[in-house]
Amino acid sequence: MNLEFTLNGASVSLPDIPEDMLLVDLLRSTLGLTGTKRGCETGTCGVCSVLVEGKLTKSCRTPVARVAGRTVTTIEGIHAPDGGLSDLQQAFLECGAVQCGYCTPGMIVAAEALLRANLNPTRDEIRRAISPNLCRCTGYQQIVDAVELTAKRRMGESANQRISEFQNPQSTIHNLKYVGNPKLQNVDGPDKVSGRIKYVGDMRVAGMLHAKVLRSPLPHARIVKLDAGPALAVPGVKAVITHADFVDHGNFGWPVKDNYVLAYGKVRYVGDAIAAVAAETEAAAQAGIDAIVLDLDPLPVVSDMTHALDPDAPIIPDKPSTLTAGGFGEGNLCDRHIVRNGDPAPILEACPVVLDEVYTFPHQEHAYLETEGVLAIPEPDGGVTLYANNQSPFINRDTSAAVLGLPADLVRVILPPVGGAFGGKDDTVYQTTAQAAKLALVAGKPVRLVLSRAESMAASYKRQASQIRLILGAEADGALQAAKAEMLMDSGAYASMTPLASWRATMHAAGAYRYRAVHVDTTSVYTNNGFSGAFRGFGNVQAAAAVEMAIDELAYRLGRDPLDFRLQNCLREGDRTMTGDPIDHEVGLTACLERVREASEWDRKRAAYAQQPADTVRRKGLGVACYFHGSGLGGEGHDFAVSTLAVDPDDGITLTSGLTDYGQGSRTVFSLLAAEILGVDMQRIRMLRPDTHTAVDSGPTVASRASIVGGNAVRVAAEKLLQQLTFAAADALHCTPEQLVRAGENFVGPDEEPLTFEAVTAHARAMGLPLSVEGKWEIRPIHWDFEKGTGEPYLCYVFGALVAEVEVTMRTGKIAVAGLWAAHDAGRILYPAGALGQLYGGVVQGLGYGLTEHFRYENGIPQTLELNTYRIPRATDAPDIDATYIQTTLREGPFGAKNLAEPVMVGAAPAIANAVFQATGQRVRSLPVSLKPVPSSH
Amino acid sequence: MYHEITLTINGEGYTLAVQSHHTLLKVLREQLGITSPKMGCGNGECGACTILMNGLAVNSCQVLAPEADGATIETVEGLSKDGKLHPLQQAFIDHNAVQCGFCTPGMLMSARALLDRTPHPTEDEIRYALVGNLCRCTGYTRIVEAIQDVAGQSDS
Ligand code: FES
Ligand code: FES
Ligand code: FES
Ligand code: FES
Repeated sequence: MNLEFTLNGASVSLPDIPEDMLLVDLLRSTLGLTGTKRGCETGTCGVCSVLVEGKLTKSCRTPVARVAGRTVTTIEGIHAPDGGLSDLQQAFLECGAVQCGYCTPGMIVAAEALLRANLNPTRDEIRRAISPNLCRCTGYQQIVDAVELTAKRRMGESANQRISEFQNPQSTIHNLKYVGNPKLQNVDGPDKVSGRIKYVGDMRVAGMLHAKVLRSPLPHARIVKLDAGPALAVPGVKAVITHADFVDHGNFGWPVKDNYVLAYGKVRYVGDAIAAVAAETEAAAQAGIDAIVLDLDPLPVVSDMTHALDPDAPIIPDKPSTLTAGGFGEGNLCDRHIVRNGDPAPILEACPVVLDEVYTFPHQEHAYLETEGVLAIPEPDGGVTLYANNQSPFINRDTSAAVLGLPADLVRVILPPVGGAFGGKDDTVYQTTAQAAKLALVAGKPVRLVLSRAESMAASYKRQASQIRLILGAEADGALQAAKAEMLMDSGAYASMTPLASWRATMHAAGAYRYRAVHVDTTSVYTNNGFSGAFRGFGNVQAAAAVEMAIDELAYRLGRDPLDFRLQNCLREGDRTMTGDPIDHEVGLTACLERVREASEWDRKRAAYAQQPADTVRRKGLGVACYFHGSGLGGEGHDFAVSTLAVDPDDGITLTSGLTDYGQGSRTVFSLLAAEILGVDMQRIRMLRPDTHTAVDSGPTVASRASIVGGNAVRVAAEKLLQQLTFAAADALHCTPEQLVRAGENFVGPDEEPLTFEAVTAHARAMGLPLSVEGKWEIRPIHWDFEKGTGEPYLCYVFGALVAEVEVTMRTGKIAVAGLWAAHDAGRILYPAGALGQLYGGVVQGLGYGLTEHFRYENGIPQTLELNTYRIPRATDAPDIDATYIQTTLREGPFGAKNLAEPVMVGAAPAIANAVFQATGQRVRSLPVSLKPVPSSH
Repeated sequence: MYHEITLTINGEGYTLAVQSHHTLLKVLREQLGITSPKMGCGNGECGACTILMNGLAVNSCQVLAPEADGATIETVEGLSKDGKLHPLQQAFIDHNAVQCGFCTPGMLMSARALLDRTPHPTEDEIRYALVGNLCRCTGYTRIVEAIQDVAGQSDS
């Protein structure tokens, strides 16, 4: 058809457009307007939102014929009259409403639709208006703040950002310009709110081919026949690959090398990749996939982890896990970990009150709104350049180089902006990267491979489903004495990071309490469910949920208030943790508990809700949870980072780090640290995106380690550079470096003659001083003895507490979360808006884990492969969260900072479960909470 | 307006929808990702865009894509076979006839056309065959020597 419509104020006329083409494809592919995103195939996520005649519309559900003759506004059409950012976009930046930015264009479009119709919306109305759009990062709160702020300003009120909610006792550090400044904004913000930033799926290069992957429909089967040849006969197909195209069949994986870039010999889960095709169009690539001859011989399946070690269980791995070689088992055993702190058995025997219960947890899906994607460009030197949305570009490079048989310098991984990761963009992206790289090398053309939502959900790794038995013993006065834990974790088809996550679970199994003795025994096993790996919280999510539900029940059996009971037993400075590790730094845990007690009006509400008449239709309850979380890799690996700083000829300062930013804000944190230490304007800092050709390897960006380890590397580099500058300034001002003071960017000597930054760098250059430095920082050695189950697992710990209020409709069993109060001790806060965003976002992911998120496998077959069946929280599912950072100081941290991105997630689910108990009297021992509906008595 | 055209490029058949006002150079580079022909001037002055069309060296920036319908096209991408460089490519390397390399693909295609037509050209003939190809780096001497070398080889 000949399509005419008005797009962002201009009339467009396009010949030869197929009527059934979707508006999203017209915008993105035909017109190159990539601010409108794609996030699902089911109309569930809203990242494709546009306005049609001013009405919020999902462009992925709109055939182009429907917009003929009408007006369409996309994110590219939303801006200030001068082309700059609109007031709403500006407010998103001020309120910290942007993290990975993938949902942001759609959110701004949705908010604009609301504000055009209702200039004075309540916060609930705002939540309802944006609820068609999902965000996995922010927890929605700062988005609501931004919309509310804009509404007020449009009504003529002079409103300020709501950051005032942030309790900020930071006035104790003087003279800091950026560290802890609540006005700091995300350095990528402007490109994200305008829709200009390009994610992998938005990139295209001339001659680019599209790739598709053939995946296993069966959870366990032998590959009897795989003939990829017929794919090449399909018109448009340029390359097809299988395991045979890789060195050693594409075997990869760490710490266990049990995975394949494309399946070899057999498939072990539904979604296991078998072959890949690159073709001129997506349709041709799919036709190529369909032409491949595949014959699978089904093998018996083990899907229930409790039967994985049965003597007659089908064996899943090709060879026993290397981690279990030391006398441990074989078969489906993946790994074991232990804690041996004293001997709890005799102590438990003597305890008057002992709780012994089993807790179960489901698989959880990361559900980042941007799926895995790679653009591979073959280079004339036989190498390949890879734009891959992963977390750890150096590990990705090394993995790809190994399976491609190329030297590392011929494989270049460049990190584009990443649309959310939460731990989920490692192994699956390594596979996707190696597949795209090989296809590009075979075809001699660029290849883009972006997974569909269902494909991403099937193929990508999950949080481990777990079963945890806890035995806790206490004296009659409530003093906790000893604990024993037995954990079973489902690693699924491959090991991935489960050996490490299960170690972290082991280190946290008995929670943030004092004990005389603790034993933990953890086993992880292979099954034919999708594989499990890293996910925010990394094992502590399950561990903390179990122990916090158990502690609550124990308090109840002792007749104690659950919050008092925690205060009596929780860790304080100088205590030893459950592993026996003495804590030699400030501990903000009691402060966190006190804070949430006061903010939530705990005492009053708990008493009131205990008095609810038995026939109340909607019953309320309050519950609490607290947690600790070891910082950094700990015993999991070598913990270091490298950063470089160089003053450019125009006196801008280029900063690199080997650690990545996938939405959590570390680019902003690194930039502000450099500016603060150098005493320069933050505008001067240009932070490059990680590129394995320019940055220096800093290990994986996992375990919330960016702030401490990456931040310290930036600090070391900045201090070195400052030394050069100070030396030059002293020379120019004829004084000693000690006599210098700073006034803004200027250096001032004893004669009070200020020297500008430019003058100092010019003098430094004239003196021949190097203005380019490298900083490395490494955590002091700590040691955990894996055989004995003793040692020092972490450098330090962060702490937090959370109170949840729920309202349960008894007849239906529906649970609404009415309030959340969170306090978290993360040391000194460097980037307040970002820190708050991490907390809100983490708590809401925890809320999803507690109430709706259940990635189900039935006999190995995944049941929830779309966002409409796997339900992550929407804006209307979460209340406003009252958040506080209790600020302590960590000696080793940059400006005293600790880490926070992960642990904020662990408290929400158990606090909600405990609140449900107060409301209903039904004790929850498995997540997500599902209540037996109580038929109404009337 | 779109036209459907068919091309044989380096031995491979293509069916493409091209716009009336797009040059063959643009289609090769931007639609197909065949980037050895360079855009140096867009006016037929520099020869960086030289390709072979039905055996003749032409400036692809001066050919409208629809005009090329049915043509057989050769570019540098098709010169080397099975990972082995074409003798002209090897000679350019051996004689140091490549500096920045931007003119090189066009030079190679012009040289190829010349040798196809006149296997044993004189130096004057070589220089004349390259008049349409500008080079700002080499001063041409080495390029001429490289072509002479190949012509000499096929002599013996
Ligand atoms: S892409 Fe349109 S709703 Fe998800
Ligand atoms: S910022 Fe909303 S999905 Fe990442
Ligand atoms: S680009 Fe064609 S002659 Fe210069
Ligand atoms: S080598 Fe540079 S233009 Fe010829």
